[in-house]
This record gives sequence, structure tokens and C-alpha cells, in this order.
Amino acid sequence: MSNLVNRAKSIAGNQQALLLLVLIAMIAFFTSRNSIFFSNAVFGNIISDWAPIVLIAIGETFVIISGGIDLSVGSTVAISGVVAAFSMRSLTEHGHGSTQTLIVGFFVSVATGILVGAINAFLITKTNVVPFIATLVTMGAGSGLAIVFTGGGPIGGGPDAAIQLSVPKVGPFSYPGLAIVALVIVLGFFLHKARFGRYIYAIGSNEFAARAAGINTKAYLAKIYILSGALAGMAGYYYYLRLGCGAPTSGLGGELQAIAAVVIGGAALSGGEGRISGTVLGALILTTVTSGLIIINVAANWKQVVVAILIAAAVLLQEARAKGSSSKLLSNLFKKKN
Amino acid sequence: MATLRHKAVKVLAVAVAASFAVAGISTPAQAANKYTIAFVMGAESDPFFQAMKLGAEQEAAAKGVTLVWQGDPSVYSPATQNPILDQVLALKPNGLVLIPTDPTALQAGHDKAIAAGIPVVNVDTHVNDTTKAVSFITGDNADGGAKAADTLAKAIGYKKGKTYKVVVGLTSATATTNVGRLNGFAAQIKKSYPGITIVDKAYSQSQPSVANTNVSNWLTKYPDLAGIFAIDGTNAAGAAAALQAKGLVGKIKLIGYDAYPANVDLIKKGVFTALIAQDPAAEARLAIDYLVATLDKDKAGIAKIKHDVVIPNVVLTAKSSAADLKKYTYVAK
Repeated sequence: MSNLVNRAKSIAGNQQALLLLVLIAMIAFFTSRNSIFFSNAVFGNIISDWAPIVLIAIGETFVIISGGIDLSVGSTVAISGVVAAFSMRSLTEHGHGSTQTLIVGFFVSVATGILVGAINAFLITKTNVVPFIATLVTMGAGSGLAIVFTGGGPIGGGPDAAIQLSVPKVGPFSYPGLAIVALVIVLGFFLHKARFGRYIYAIGSNEFAARAAGINTKAYLAKIYILSGALAGMAGYYYYLRLGCGAPTSGLGGELQAIAAVVIGGAALSGGEGRISGTVLGALILTTVTSGLIIINVAANWKQVVVAILIAAAVLLQEARAKGSSSKLLSNLFKKKN
Repeated sequence: MATLRHKAVKVLAVAVAASFAVAGISTPAQAANKYTIAFVMGAESDPFFQAMKLGAEQEAAAKGVTLVWQGDPSVYSPATQNPILDQVLALKPNGLVLIPTDPTALQAGHDKAIAAGIPVVNVDTHVNDTTKAVSFITGDNADGGAKAADTLAKAIGYKKGKTYKVVVGLTSATATTNVGRLNGFAAQIKKSYPGITIVDKAYSQSQPSVANTNVSNWLTKYPDLAGIFAIDGTNAAGAAAALQAKGLVGKIKLIGYDAYPANVDLIKKGVFTALIAQDPAAEARLAIDYLVATLDKDKAGIAKIKHDVVIPNVVLTAKSSAADLKKYTYVAK
């Protein structure tokens, strides 16, 4: 009997295994309510929603493990998608081919994201503004500028081929979706197997000790905010592919979805803890809830309630695992980065 | 900590200053124009108001009027509109065009302007009591919804005795435009097309990507779906992308609302069966004409003023003339 209890405890201690169970339970529940849920078409919808969320959530994972926060990812999605949309419209109007236009659009979108990330990095590492405030500034400026540039409406007029790229081709995955999966695996390697990742954990656990050990903490922090911006730029481009237009409201509230995915995935906002696989599953659970509630006819507002319960459960688990660690949460959020 | 706070404040101050500079907060030009007319509108970010602004600017230039155009950048709310209205009234304009974001909350400001001798026109939405206003000019959302129902029924080849499933994508459950259009749509279906059932509704919070997720899942859930009514510009954009991605263009009839340039392009490609469009520029032009006539004490002009003006919505389809498509497309600068 005590053996069973121990086994249950060890599963409860493994966030990834638990998340997988939650995911399977959700799929089983939604399928039991409407069997159409268990279909390639619905999984395709879920993966389409998942792809941009996981991109910004992975960036957020790096940032949160380092002990920081990036509130600007949602508006970076908007502004990079809009800037890319303008550039692709202009190229199309000047008679450039769709392949060339789509490639240029991708780089414009990522470059815009990198620019926002670089501003965050500058504010945090050079002017010593706390991450919460620095990214709050870029969040407001980014979403405001996206509206100023567009006048509020979506910007179309790019290549017609864009939407076709977002169509699932391999099971529920579109080609850009597969590319995102590959990118996530590579970034997982960097975080968990490479020196880069070890340093990030070290900085998030104890920045002072990391610096004393000779790690150039500012350089590493700058890199992860730029990485987060670049990933948000990619998410902006992905939304463009899905909609065939760049909308200033794409990515609205994306920062909260990203943070939710990371926290559900088991990372601690106090830094030094978290795994890519947890974030991947966290994001998948969020988008499964979205599609599932539509398929079973439950008002979308319930999604927020379900997500809130999941976040509370994830944090309680953390609390149980390492008592007292989340009490550091607030003090760390506003911790000065030196 | 003190230096930290100091730095944060400095950064914020710079950011705020920069954002004002970008937004181009304008003060009325002290030109030789005889009147200054203030427009206090809902939300700068809405292409509807952008198109209205263009109409207002053109008419103001034509009539030699200085235009003050103010409103919140993105939040459609009396909490942000009331302070803006107070500031604008402090500039003592000769006339006021108000697009009240709430019928009750804006009544006091509205009446204050009239008490100060400033004639007021309500546009798009109205305060509870407009008896002292010069006029109330609006597009007819219920009529637009009814037109959407007629157009959709025709497009799906509605026949008595048969049943059809349609869905409606909305932005919010309470926005008056959404409610007006949905009620008009539902009432017309009940009256004339009893075989049509609205099987699902969902809200996009003005995000095309959320609308896209909703419609993508509906297309899976209802393989026999006949049509979609996308109630505003952002829902229209999201639904259009979903139909294109699923290869259902033309098979499922899509009626959109609001003639955003990107959506008008998609009429030509057959993605939209029709778009219902308003004419915000015409509303603005008429409001300025009414105020100028009132201020001029021009008897002939005043005699033409109607207290309640409804500018009908129009149905744009692939068969609409190029001139009509151009005329109704919401164009910003």
C-alpha cells in the first residue's frame, strides 16, 4: 500500500507525466461529448493554434528560467506581423513573385521581433530597468504603434499562397508547423544540453553567484530577450500565413497565454526551474481547451476558468515540491538585474 | 531602489512623450477659418472611425471649418471619452459632433455643451435624450443585419421546407453595433426564412485570429454548414482565411460586414459572397453641413435639417460597380 502511495507521489512529482495525463483526459472527455473531436481536422485546428503560442511560450520559458518576465511578446507578434504585411504588400504590388515575397516577409517579421527584443535587452541590461517595467513599456508602445501604422484594420494584399502554407499537410501539421516543431527541439537542446542553457539556469537560480562564477550575466540576459523577440516575430509571421493578412490585434493577450503555458508546464516564476517539454504540453493543453469547448458547445468564457484552475493546480504542485520557493516570486519579479 | 524608481520613471516619461509625438495629438490650427468644429469619437483604432475622419476632413476643408478630431486611441469606453470631451469643450469649439460611447454616461457632457451655446450633432450612437441636439445621424445596424439575412438566403438558394445551418461570428455580446446587427439578422430569418437555424455563435474580442479559430472548428463540427455571417471587419477577416485554408471558398457562403480594404479585395476573389458596408464618411459630412448651417443661421440650410437621419447600409458583391466598391471601402489616410 505504501508502495502505491509512493508511486502516486512520484507521478505527482513529475510535471510532464501529469500534464500528459491531463491532456489525455481532456481529449477523452471532449471525444465522449462529441466524437468528431477525435479527428485529424480538429487536431489540425489545435496544432494551428498551438504553433504561434508555443513559439512565444518557448521564448518566455527562457526568460522565466532566467528569473525575468517578458510582457511584450503579444504586441511584438502584432507589430512584426503588421510590418511584414506592409512589406509583402509592397513587394506584391511591385510584381515580385510569391516565394521571394514570403521569404522577405519572414525575415522582416523576425527582424522586427529582434528589434523589440534588443530594446528590451538594452533597457534591462544597460539602463537597469526591471524586466517587468522594461517589457511593459515595449508592450504598450508596440501595440500602440501597430494600431497607428494600420489605422486598426488588417493589412492584406500580399501573396495568395500565404494561407495555403498554413494548411495541414502531414497529419495535423502544416509545413511551417513542422518547422516550428523542429525549432522547438533545437531550442530544447540549447536549454537542456548546452552550456547556454546551464548558464541561464544558473542566472535564474542565483544571479550573484553566477556572476561570481565568471558568467557574463548581462550578455546572456540580453541574448534571451532578443531570442524571445525573434520567436515573437516568427509567431507574427505565422499569424500572417494563417490569416493572409497582418492584423494589429493578432497576439493580443499573447503574453498571458505564454506565461500561462510556461507556468502550467511547471516553470517557477522565481527562476531557475522549468522545462521546454512542460511548456510544449502547457501550450497544447491551452489550445486543446479552446477547440474542445467550441466543439462541445460551451461558451468560450469558460476557457478562462479552466485555464485558471490549471494554473492554480500547477502552482500548488510546485509549492508542494519545493516549499517556500514561490514566496520568492514577487521579490524576484521586481529584482534588479545587475 | 530610489535610483531604480527614478530610472523607471525617466524611461516611462520618455516613452509617454514619444507615444504622444507618434500619435500626433493635434491642437486646432489657428487658421483664418470661421468655425472650429470638434469631433469626439469612439476609438481611433477602428477603421470605421478612420473612414469617418477622412469624410470629416474633406467636408471641413470644403466648408472652411477647422476640425478638432479627438478620441481614445483604442478603447471604446465612456471612462476614457468623458475626460476627452471635457478637454475639447475647454477649447470652446463653435460646434460639436459627438459619438457617445455610452448613452447615459455621456448625457451630462452633451448637455453641458448645449448649455454653453455649442450646437451638438450625435453621430453613429446617441445619448438617451437628444431633444436638444441638432440631429442624430446613424447607419442602420438592424437593417444591415436584415440585409445580410436576405443576401445569405439568396446565396444558399433558400427553398421552403428545407433546412439550413448557419453560424454567426461576433466580437462582443454587448457592443451595440453587434447586438443591432445580430437582432436584425435573427428577426429577418425568423420572419422570412424559417428553415434557417443559427446553430452557433462565438466572440472574437476584435481578433481575426480568434475568429479564425472559431470558424475553423465550426467547419469541422458542421460538415453540412450552409453559411456564415461574420458581423464585423475582424470576424470577416478571420472567417475568410478559414474558408480559404479549408478549401471551402464558394461552397460555404460568407457574408461579412465592414468594407476594410483587405476584405473588399476578397469579394473580387469570391471569398465573400457579400459585404455589408456602412458609410461613415457620409455621416461625418452631413454632421458638419448641419452644424455649419446652424452656425450660419442659414434659413434654407436649417430648413433641410432632419432631427433623425438613418443612412442605409449597402450590400457590396462581386457584381457591384468598381465605383461603388471604391466609394464604400473604408479608406484611411
